[in-house]
Amino acid sequence: MATTTATLALSSPDLVGDALALNTSKACYKAGTTIGLDQSTGLARVYLTATTNVDIITVPGAVWAGKNAKVYIANLSTVDSEFIIVTKGGNVIGRLYAGDWMWMPMEQKAAHLSDVEIAPNVASGMWVEYMMVHEGVVLTTSADS
Amino acid sequence: MATINATISISSPDLTSSPINLNKMMTLTKAGTTTGLEQTSGIVRRQFTSTDQVNLVATGAQNYGTPTATTNSNKIYIKNTGSSTTDYVLIGLGDAGGGTATTDAVNGDSMTIGRLYGGDWMLIPAHLATDVGDIWIAPSSSALVAVEFILFFE
Repeated sequence: MATTTATLALSSPDLVGDALALNTSKACYKAGTTIGLDQSTGLARVYLTATTNVDIITVPGAVWAGKNAKVYIANLSTVDSEFIIVTKGGNVIGRLYAGDWMWMPMEQKAAHLSDVEIAPNVASGMWVEYMMVHEGVVLTTSADS
Repeated sequence: MATINATISISSPDLTSSPINLNKMMTLTKAGTTTGLEQTSGIVRRQFTSTDQVNLVATGAQNYGTPTATTNSNKIYIKNTGSSTTDYVLIGLGDAGGGTATTDAVNGDSMTIGRLYGGDWMLIPAHLATDVGDIWIAPSSSALVAVEFILFFE
């Protein structure tokens, strides 16, 4: 069994009168267990040169609802005005501007409903990293078979 | 202007043949600028004792700045503070103001993000557009569960 841990350090000395210093850490388990997630897409790094909305994680017709998964996405751009719009099943989650990252659980439901998609706001080229750590996905049937 | 930093560390010695040690820090800024976000909900802690689907964050006129789906860089942190490995809270987007379950739909008004088991946390952007930007929660059991969230917004 693998051990994967996600840790967050959130801090601000001046947002409010009491300095914010939040730290949390959690191992990533399979649904309803203390068994670690044992599969991963690996950390993917892509260079996007169009504003097209593209799938970075797809869920085909047959799904593994109830399986646990975690998704990390980071916009590696250094241009402040550049962002990606992150959607799930076509529903907007929000924008990741240059340097922003996100970490979320992922529920796999019906086909396309749970796809994770990104759309850059510029076509001049943008680096994005993403990774999913999971306990299983249904892979798309090969079009060649 | 405030300075807010969020650093994620993802580590695993054995998930893959090469250990994972990913560290990424971001400074929470307003959309398209280097100006820090300067408004927050504070650390909100709520307890739930029902499986009803309800709004955790209800957007609306001036509740959290001026809601818009197109020009903000808001962030939300959510944590299930419990310790259960079997009970979870389901988190999603869309209006659950009526306390009844909504149905996910591609390009629709509601979408399930995922489950937070005890101790799990998430940090995502939050567009906060009225209704479709609401953040809902649905506990898997009626056992008491406490959830914390912090909204950082423009």
